Parts: sequence; C-alpha cells; structure tokens
Amino acid sequence: MKKIKYSYIVICIIFLTSCSGYLDRLPLNGVSSDTEINTEQALALTHAAYQPIQWMNLYNMRLWTLDIVAGNSIVGGDGGTDGTETTQFANFITTTDNQIALDIWRGANPGILRSNLVLEKVPDLDIPDDLKNRCLGEAYFLRAHYYFILVRMYGGVPLILTPPVPGKDITYSRTSADKIYEQIISDCENAITLLPEKSNYSDSDKGRACKEAALTMLAKVYLTLGRNYNDVVSICKQITAMGYDLTKCKYADNFDSSIKNNPESIFEVQYTGSSAYDFNGNDNQASWLSTFMGPRSSGFVAGSYGWNLPTLEFMTSYESGDLRKDITVLYEGCPDFDGMVYLPSYSLTTYNVRKFLVSINIVEARDQCPANFVVYRYADVLLMEAEALNELGRTAEAEAPLNIVRSRAGLPAVSNKTQEEMKEIIIHERRIELAFEGHRWFDLIRIDNGDYALKFLKSLGKVNVNKNRLLLPIPQLEMDSNPMMTQNPGY
Amino acid sequence: MKQKVRNCLLGILCLFGILLSFPDLRAQEVKTTVSGTVVDVSGNSLVGVTVYIKGSDTGTTTNEYGAFSLQTKSPEPTLVFSYIGYETKEIKPTSFSSIRIVLNEINNKLSEIVVIGYGTMKKKDLTGSVGSVGSKDIGDKPLTSVGEALQGKAPGLQVINAGEPGKDVTLKIRGLGTINNSNPLIVIDGFPTDLGLNSINTADIESVDILKDASATAIYGARGANGVVMITTKTGKEKSEFSYSGNYGIQNVVKLPDMLDASGYAALSNDMMINAGKPANPEWQDPASLGKGTDWMDALFEQSYLQSHTVSFSGSNNKSHHYLSLGILDQKGVVRKTNYQRYTFQSNNDSYIKDWLKVSSNITFSTDNKTKGGHNILDAMKAIPTQPIKNEDGSWSGPTDNPYWYGSVRNPIGVTELYKSVTNGYNLLANGSVEISLFKGLKFKTMGGVDAKFWYTESFNQKYNWNPDPVLKSEKYQSSDRSLTYLWDNYFTYDTTIGKSRINIMAGTSAQNNEHKYFNGKKTGFLYDDVNQLENGEEIVSLKGNTEDWAIFSLIGRVNYNYADKYLLTATVRRDGSSRFTGDNKWGTFPSFSAAWRITEEPWFKKPAFLDYMKIRLGYGVTGNQNVGGLYSFASLYKTSSVYSFNNNVVPSLAIVKMPNPSIHWEEVEQTNLGFDINMFKQRVNLTFDAYLKYTNEMLVPMSVPVSTGYSDYDVPDINAGRMINKGLELSVSSTNIKRGDFEWNSVFNLTYNRNRILELNNDTPMYLNQVSNSYVTIQSVGHQANSFYGYVTDGIFQTEEEVANHAVQIEGATSVGDIKFKDLNNDGVIDTDDRTYIGNPNPDFIFSLSNTLRYKNFDMDIYLYGVAGNEIYNGNRTITEGMSSAVNQSKATLNRWTSEGSSNKMPRAVYEDPSNNNRASDRWIEDGSFLRVRNVTIGYTIPGRIINKAGIDSFRIYASCENLLTLTNYSGLDPEIAEIDPQLIGLNQRVDGLYGIDFNVYPVVRTISIGCKIIF
Repeated sequence: MKKIKYSYIVICIIFLTSCSGYLDRLPLNGVSSDTEINTEQALALTHAAYQPIQWMNLYNMRLWTLDIVAGNSIVGGDGGTDGTETTQFANFITTTDNQIALDIWRGANPGILRSNLVLEKVPDLDIPDDLKNRCLGEAYFLRAHYYFILVRMYGGVPLILTPPVPGKDITYSRTSADKIYEQIISDCENAITLLPEKSNYSDSDKGRACKEAALTMLAKVYLTLGRNYNDVVSICKQITAMGYDLTKCKYADNFDSSIKNNPESIFEVQYTGSSAYDFNGNDNQASWLSTFMGPRSSGFVAGSYGWNLPTLEFMTSYESGDLRKDITVLYEGCPDFDGMVYLPSYSLTTYNVRKFLVSINIVEARDQCPANFVVYRYADVLLMEAEALNELGRTAEAEAPLNIVRSRAGLPAVSNKTQEEMKEIIIHERRIELAFEGHRWFDLIRIDNGDYALKFLKSLGKVNVNKNRLLLPIPQLEMDSNPMMTQNPGY
Repeated sequence: MKQKVRNCLLGILCLFGILLSFPDLRAQEVKTTVSGTVVDVSGNSLVGVTVYIKGSDTGTTTNEYGAFSLQTKSPEPTLVFSYIGYETKEIKPTSFSSIRIVLNEINNKLSEIVVIGYGTMKKKDLTGSVGSVGSKDIGDKPLTSVGEALQGKAPGLQVINAGEPGKDVTLKIRGLGTINNSNPLIVIDGFPTDLGLNSINTADIESVDILKDASATAIYGARGANGVVMITTKTGKEKSEFSYSGNYGIQNVVKLPDMLDASGYAALSNDMMINAGKPANPEWQDPASLGKGTDWMDALFEQSYLQSHTVSFSGSNNKSHHYLSLGILDQKGVVRKTNYQRYTFQSNNDSYIKDWLKVSSNITFSTDNKTKGGHNILDAMKAIPTQPIKNEDGSWSGPTDNPYWYGSVRNPIGVTELYKSVTNGYNLLANGSVEISLFKGLKFKTMGGVDAKFWYTESFNQKYNWNPDPVLKSEKYQSSDRSLTYLWDNYFTYDTTIGKSRINIMAGTSAQNNEHKYFNGKKTGFLYDDVNQLENGEEIVSLKGNTEDWAIFSLIGRVNYNYADKYLLTATVRRDGSSRFTGDNKWGTFPSFSAAWRITEEPWFKKPAFLDYMKIRLGYGVTGNQNVGGLYSFASLYKTSSVYSFNNNVVPSLAIVKMPNPSIHWEEVEQTNLGFDINMFKQRVNLTFDAYLKYTNEMLVPMSVPVSTGYSDYDVPDINAGRMINKGLELSVSSTNIKRGDFEWNSVFNLTYNRNRILELNNDTPMYLNQVSNSYVTIQSVGHQANSFYGYVTDGIFQTEEEVANHAVQIEGATSVGDIKFKDLNNDGVIDTDDRTYIGNPNPDFIFSLSNTLRYKNFDMDIYLYGVAGNEIYNGNRTITEGMSSAVNQSKATLNRWTSEGSSNKMPRAVYEDPSNNNRASDRWIEDGSFLRVRNVTIGYTIPGRIINKAGIDSFRIYASCENLLTLTNYSGLDPEIAEIDPQLIGLNQRVDGLYGIDFNVYPVVRTISIGCKIIF
C-alpha cells in the first residue's frame, strides 16, 4: 500500500516539474518581430508598405468618392443609409465621427508605419545593394505619398519618421503643414535618386514605384504649394525625355482591366482579382470600382451598387466631339455597353460612370475584378507642364502639352489665350481628362489656395462650404485616444 | 494482511457453498459469516450503524471504518441496517463477504447533495452560494437543450434563448462580469469543457448545480470568475430500470412583423420620391388598385415539428452502477429549409473493483447535423410586395429596371432553395478516473479525459441568373475543424473527525490543454449542380488553415471545517498558470474564504415557532479570468498571410498590424457574498437569499491605440486597464402551499436583481461598438452600465417652417417640416455629435420566474412563468423597416407617417435618402424590453400502478405541454429575448459577447405544442 502511495507522490512531483514548457505556446501563423530577416523577407516588408493603397480606405473607394465631394457626381447607392458619410462631406456638414475622416486616417497611417519599418530595418541588412536601394526608394516614395494624402485632407498631422516603440509613448502631437511638406519633398528627392526608371523594371516588377512616379509626385507637390514652377516644368520635360509619348497611347487602355501598367501609366495600384480574401477586408486583392459604379439593377457588371452618378452640370461641361465622353460616362443614347442598352432609369441623375466598368461577361463575380487603378499617368504630367508654364506667364508655350492631350481627345487645338483664360481652360481640361480618377478634389482645393474651390462649390449650391470645411476633421476616435491631438478649426 | 484473511474466508465460504448446495449436507448446522462496510451516498463510512439479521437477535454495529461482521445460522439471511437520520435498509446478500451497503439520508431539502467541484457536499454544509436544478425540472419537457431548461430555475442565472435550431443559449451568472467573454465555465461530470450545452440530451442529466460566489467557484478559480455550471449526468440507481421517453411537438413563430402590402408600399414609394423631388413610379399612380401583392415573411416562415426519443438503461449492484442511454432529436426549423438533427449517447459507469479501488468513466458522445438555405430574415422584410415570388415562366423573380422604385433585394425565397449549407458536428467528452482509498480517510483520485470536437461545413451556392445581381459561377465552400482538449487532474482528499470537528482537506493539480486545427477551401465553376464535390470545381479560389493552442496548469488546495454541525468554514487557494500570458504574468494566486453559521443549532437561540432552520453564510474570494480574445496577445508579431502583386505577379508581404501587449495578465474578480438559508413552517417554506458585491479588477479591455501610430485601432490586444462592479440580490422561495389528501400545490419563485457599472477603462476612453445602419449604437464608458446605448434624443416632429427656423440647426438646407426634431442637449444651437447621450441599456434590472405545480391523484399540472424587467432593446430592424428612405418594404407603422401639419408627432415624413438623417442612432429605436412570458404549461397523467404493473411496467406518464404560450410585452419586435447577433451584421470582426440587446435580423423564438410520455420498465 505504501508503495503505491509513494509512487503516486513521485509521479505528481515529476509531473509538476516537467510542466515548465507546458504553458509556453506561441502562434504558428505569426512571425516574432525580432526574427532575422533575409532578402526575400526584406522585399516582403516593402510590399507590405504598398498594401494600404489597395485598401478601400484609399484608392479602392474613399479617394475616388472625392469626385462626389468635388461636385462631379452624387453618391447614388440604395438611397437609404448607403453613403451618408459621403453625402455629409459633399454638403460640407461633416461631423467628427464621419466615416470618411476615419477611413482615410486609417488608410494612410499604417502605410507610414510600414514604410518607416523598411527604412529602419533594411539599411542594416546584408542584402545586395541594388535591391537595398530599390527597397529604400520605394519606402521613401510611399511614405511621401501617404503624407501627401494626409496633409491635403487634414492639414498638419503628426510627423513620425521611425516606428513607434510599443509600451513607450505612443501619443503624438501635430506638426505644421509646412514641415510635413518639407519632409515630403525630401522623401521625394530620395526616392528620385534611389529608384530606377519604369523601363528598367522586368515584367514581373512592373508596377513598383519608379523614378518618374516620384518625379510626378514632386511636381504635384510644387503645384499644390503654388511655387517652384520652373522645377515643375523641368520635371515634366525630364519625364517626357524618358520616352513617354501620348500619341502612342489609347485613352481607354488606362481603364481596361486586361491591360496593366500600360505605356502611359506612371504609377498604378495593383490588383489580381483573386477572391480568396474577404472582399471587405484589408487583404482584398480585387478592385471595388466596377462593382460600386455599375448602374443599379442593370446587370451590366457584377455587383452594380450604382454609386458615383455624374451630375447634369458635369455632363454639360463636355465639349462637343470629345471622344472621351463615350469612354467615361453612360447616358441615354450612348453606345451599347457590351451589347446592353443603357436606360436612364438606372440612375437618379440619368447618368452613370462608364470608365471603370468591366462587363459581367468578363468578370463574373463582384469580388473578382482585376483592374488596376491608375494614380499617375502621362496625360496628367503634360497638363501639369501646361499649368506650370501658364503660371510662369509662358502661356504660348503651355499650348503644346495641352494640345497633345486635346488632340488625343479629338478636340481642336487651343491658341492665343490670355493667362486667365488659359488657366480656366487647363482646369477644365484636367476635370474632363482625369474625370472620376480622384484628382478633381485635389485640384479644386489647391488652386488659388482654396478660393477656387469655394467659388466653384458655391456656384453648385453648396451653401455650407467654407475654408475650414475644405479640410476633414481629425477623426473622433483619434481625438479620444490621443490626448496630444488637436482638432481642426471649425469642428 | 487483510487480503489474506479475506482470501481465507472466501475459500471457506466457497467450500461451504458447495457443501450447502447438496441437500443431504444440510442436515448439519453451519454458521455463516457475513461482513461488509456501510457508507453514505458520498462514499463516507458510517460509524455506529446497527446491523442485525432479520428475525433473530443477532446484531452488531459498524466500527470506525464502517465495517461489520456477523455470524448467523441462517443460510440465506436478510440483513437490516438502521441508522438515525437515514432510511433503514434490508438486503438479502448474494455474497457474504465484502458487502457494500449504501444508506440514504432521509430525504429533505437539506440533505440534498450538491456537486461543488472535486467533490460533493450536502446542501446544509455549504458555505458558498450554489443554486441547484434537479432532473425533474429539466426532463420531461420538449426542450432541445439544457440551457433552455435552466432558464429562471436558479436565481442569478440569466439564460438567453437562441431561436435557430442547433444554436446554443447564452448564459450569464450574476450579471456581466466583464466586457469581454463573461460566459460561465461549464463542467460536465468534473470535466471543464466548452462542449455546447445543446449537445447534451436533457434526458441524461441528473442535476445542474450553479456555483455563483467566490468560495463556490474558487475551486475552479482559473476559469470560474464568471460562475460555474456543474452538470452531472445520470448514474445507475439502486433498482435496475429501462426507460423510454419521447415527445412530439408542433412549432410556430409567435409573432411576425406587420409589413405593408402592395398598395401600401406603392403609396409610400410615391410619397418618398416626391418629398425628395424625385420622380415617382408612373405605374403606381393608383396604389389601391395594386391590392395585397406578396407576403414575403409569410412565405419564409412555416409551421414545423420537433420530436425527440430517448431510451436508457440503468442499474446497479452492490459494487457498481451503470447508466446507458441513446437519444434522437429531430427538429425542423420554422424558417423554411432549416433542419437540425442530433444523436446522443451517454454511458456512465463506476465500480468498486476492490473495496479500496473505485474506477469510473463517463462518456458523452453526440453528433448533429444542421442544414439551412440562404435565408436572410431582414431581406424578407425588405423585399417589395409588388413583386411576385416567381415570374410567369416559373423563374425566381427579381427587381429589374429602376432600383429606386423596385429595390434591389435578391429573391428571399429563391435563396433558400438555391443556396444550401450543411454542418456536421461530432463531440466526444470522455473521462475515466481511478479513486484509491489509501488508508483511513485518505483518498487519491486521478481523472483523465478528452473533449474532442470535430465539425465540418459544406455549402454550395448554385449559379443562377438572379435579378439584379446574377451568380454566374456556382461556388462550393468546405471547411474542416478539429478541437481537442485534454485534461488530467490528480488530487488527494483527507477526511477526519476529531471530537466535534470534521475536517476535509483536498489538494491536487489540474492540467488542461487544447489544440484547434482547421482548414477550408473554396472552388467555383461546376458543370453539374448536383455533382459538386471539391474536385469537380474548375477553379480554386481560396485555401486557408491554421493551428492554435492554449494550456492551463493549476495547483489547488481546499479545507472544509465543520464544528459540531454548527460552524462551517471553507478555505480555498489556487495557483494558476495560463499560456495566454508571458513571463511573470503567467501565474496568478486566487484565495477564498467563507463561513457559515447554523444559528438555529445554537442552544441559546430562541427559535420562533415557524422557523425550523436558519443558516447564515458569508464569503469572500478572488477568482481569475484568462479568457481573452487573443491567445497570443503578449507576442509582437508580423503578419505574413497577405499579398501584393506587380503586373499580376503575386508577391508576399510582411506587415506589422497589431500592437503587442507583453504585460497582459490575469483579470481578477473579487466577490463578497452574504446569504441566508431558511426553512420555515415545518419544512413547507424554504427560502434562500443572497446579496453579493462583485468587483472585476484588472479588467481586460481592448487597448486604446491611436490610429496615428499606424497600428490597427480595432485589431488590438487587451490591456488590464478596466474595472467593473456588479452588485445584486438573489431570492429563491420554494413552498408547499397545500398538501391535503390527494391534492398538493407547490411553488418556486426566483428573483434576481443585478446592476453593473464600469468604473475604469483604458485612459477612460469610451469605446464605441456595433454599427447599425451606419451609426455606432453601443458604448462602454466609465460611470455607466456596460453595453449602454448612446445616441441622440428625439423631441417630436417639425410641424411648421417656423419651428424649423427657430430650432437649433440640424442639416443646413435639408431639414424641413415632417422631419424629426432632435434635442440640443448642450444648447449650442447646432445638433452635432455633442448632442448625444446615454439612451438606455440592455441589462435587465430584474429577472424573475414563478413555477406552480399542482397535483391531484394521478394528474399533475405545471405552470412556469419567466420574465425580465428594466432593460431596453435597440430595435435595429426598425431602422430598416421604418426608415422610409430607400426602396425597401416598410412596416405598417409607417401608415401613420407625417403628411401635413399635425398629422403625426412620432413618425416622420417619407423622404428618399433621408437628407435630415431622421434615421440616426437615437431613442427613436430604443424600446422597453421588459416582458413576462408563460414559458411552459404542462399537464400530465401518471397511469395508476395497478393497471400497468401487470404488464411489467413500473411507471407510465403521459403529458401535453406548451412552450411560450403567451408573452406580455411592450416591445414591438419579433421577440423581446434577443439572442446572439451575427457579428458581420454589425461591423464587428471579433468575438461577440451576445448580450448587446440589439435586435437586428435575429431569428424569432417559437411556440411549441407537444405531447410526450415517459415509460419506466
């Protein structure tokens, strides 16, 4: 009997002492952040920095809905609570709990963290120099890109250049917009130095940030700040010299889901159309644009939520004979869409966007559209060149780049205009050429330091618009969790 | 030594037996020695039991080991055992040595046995707060699950039903202990498990004990912070018996919403479009001519049935008990194309292999099958009544053309046919234990077991040319999950009596670990719709899988001290380690202490005549909770499960997403409990009253991570930065009202009062959760009850343009007559987010139940009422059915909408797109959720023994019963009992606690009328 008793005690003791590893469990699907990183993993860190541009928080939805805010279109949708946050912003009665304010904030900030992670870790890694430089160049480009979005939408924001240390101070205060722009310019210049030209990328690398993408962004920054017009002109000429030729590019190719990274495109958000990931989550690899903008109840495209309905004012601003109209929009009597007739009853405004639609016969399910989204393309560069030249008073020289764009659109050349007239013409040309591509809002708010936006929006009947309301509020969630944050005036 | 003696005796007895079997040998007079031990139901030896041979004066008493030995001349003696306080027993032993006799205490409420964790205790010896529910309260009702049966049966226990067949109930003990997972621990036959309650056959349950306060749950410290539900399955009784029980019932939805018919909708659509300056449908110029149209809700719901059958065998002999049962449950859902079937098997055995060695096992096995179509209750409410269910050519109809008039909901009936999902589950809960009596009073028990769950889902979405949104390729999804939990407990118990003191000590260890593995895949493109195995698909869409695990290890010690049956003390201490924490934070120490005083035993206490017995209990303890959302919150991890691409070339990504929290540690619940157990009026009235104060400290709350850091602000770890308080009162009164001759009337009344309040949160930052129609409705904030509702306050409707102009600005340029007026709470002239406040909360203040049982001769009737009061419900369905802002069908309440000055001060105008945001989160959607429900009425008849005994049947009872006969409530929705909500519907990616009180597309509860019987052979 005693033997049995003692042996059990021994077993228990053995068991007790052998339990030390029993309670140590680590996840099998996650990597500890202090693991060593090899070349492939360093590239993966960089790829992570690209991902936020794919999210609905940025280019997949919120940034193209800014065309609605700019007055090119209205929300549409199902009419109920669909898109109320966009309508709120478009009427300039935004509240601090507005979902767009939160979504864009949630899109750009992780992008900055991921870029900072690359910039912190990659320099010390033992990987080939050409890859290292490219990774760093991509990280600088992306960080500048995210800050550029933030500063234009919110004004001054926290300037964070190294990843926050968990456990340490994680609350940041705002830096002035001027300092943010300084950093953006510096990051652009680093990216320009480190990145290769697009033509140097192999097919499987096309779509990575390239030198001309960083150049295009820098030109935009200067135009936004309203200075360095000479630099803008030389940047644009530098890009042209890399071999860009608009006469060899078709307008519709930029939006064709089967054509990726075409000769006109300078930087695109990449999608594969894989539906392996949750369409509504951050891992999604399918484009939302066709699904959202398809005319409701038409059966034209998979999804067809009926968003982004062009206004009558926009439609009437087309010049007659403009070849881009039939590619960009749907209206009564327009050419059939993949054999289907467009009925104005599909839309509250009797118009729909056509540009991004991919026929249901090509992409059969709503969560499988592989179309890339073009952020920067050469036509934009030409129009920037024209704008800069005009601002410098070189109106006659501005005609050349402008007319290249117009001639592709089948429109007559423009000549002999005053600087004021040319300015309006260029603004109008940008509106039409880049319609619904997410540029119009940023153009409106930068010209004449926001005065142009106020004038234009008031003319559309937006009574509530004022200078303060051109910026989004800092999201309430950030205000609640970050005591160092201050709100924008007027909110 | 003893063994030798026994063997000797056996040998001798065998010899005698052989000799005695020859008749001519019986001439000689032989003496038979009979020996054995006498114990009580818990296995404790009974000292001083009188043992004698019936019809002689040969007798003895049991010694301090409970053992006796007698010599008798009779060859087949009858032994009689008698002991004060216990029922006298007579047996005719078939063997004469090592007989084991169990004496039962004379049955009264105080001697009831309660299972408390690592042992049992008599109710009268309890120092903690425990509620008990016996098998007669659980069985014999057409309930599919134990959970439903427990509703209202024990004060302090809140049970929320889920209507959908196969879905489990939600349990809470003493309020919301934490804003995280506050589900109590379920222990089945000593095995802590997360086997769903609906996998157990109610017919197999002997009793359910609910451990509520710290001293009771302390023994399960690591997982018992939210209370423990101890389920004990049946074991063999003294008499062998075979029984069959079964019932069959018809089920119907209790209430369907009143939706507009075709003419009502057409009129609404016209109003809505015209008020927004948009064109109305020219075909609907004469709404009345459209008639009734389609009633989609009526088409979605149908009458259904429910049947269950159980066959069980139980028996015992001197040394062992066995129980075996098989059960079948078949339930058709009230929503078309939903079904649930469950098969259960239970086998419980225990046996004294030797006097000192007891071996036992419990096996619970169940398998179930759930099928459903693609139903969506909200879609059935939204679908437009002017649309027929099928087109003329027999195809499923769908809106074509203008979506602003005809809507864009996919045919809600068609999807139940063309989308099918089947889930099969297999659950095995098996444990075996060996108990060794080492020497006097000292026992050792080892118990090992496995909780194995396997479940498989297959769903197929058939391609079909739906309007407006066709599915062009059929899609198959298949998943396979396996979750295995292993448990190994080892502990010593020591019982001793020193003079007037009885001491019981328990010490041991418990180790438990779990591994969950899953993978799933999706393929599209099937040539034939009924040939849809994964290998028949053309294209692979996705393939995912993962493995997760956790482990807990504990050291436990407990002392029970009983002095003169008057003063009782219990002290427990536990040291627990969890794999969810790291470093020093892994371990927590949880002590508890409770005492009880049987004041009526005191000689100086002058008992009033009506008072039979009174015990006062007081306890204090700390229990721990480690059930946080993430298993690895302490780890700083990169995510490698997503990709990017360049020119269609897919590349991997390595991203940092979730902020780590390496200092995460145990959440602690500190509970103080004061209770009274009172028996009055000669045991006719039993009253239990408890008052408790529960602090949840170091409460795990989601970390507040600013988005500006770049880390996710919703995929966050938990941080121990919260504090919450729950306080309450529980009352349970059971009384024998009338007992006269053949008539008896008993009732049981239970009442629970609970209030909670959040005391601290991370940086006191409020948390907003649960998006309903684009607004957050739930808030967790300091100083308020958990899961409170937050929104605007309504103040009638603008009747004139002047009122609009004089009121604070709502939506400039859009707010107009007929829109809702919201209160300007801060008087700043603008209605904005600062004009929101706390508009209600879903936590009931009171939960009550009353059960009345009447018996007359062989008839019995049981009426059971259940209700809650003091809670609000956020009626999310109404935000859709009364929104009047898009092309979806509306409820009949909108017939009273504002059309001109003075026409309504409650229901606003119908206006497309709701420019003034009448549908924002406000008290417009908050309703009183109190209700009183006649939960069950059962009438039964037990066929008299004289009739059936001839057929060899011991007892035969038939009954008819109605579940949810009647509900009294002011709530306008389908059912005031709001069960768990589909997290995707309200924008939550994470775990859902289930008690948010938001009614949004939730499956309604049904009324069941059934008949059944129980036959014991």
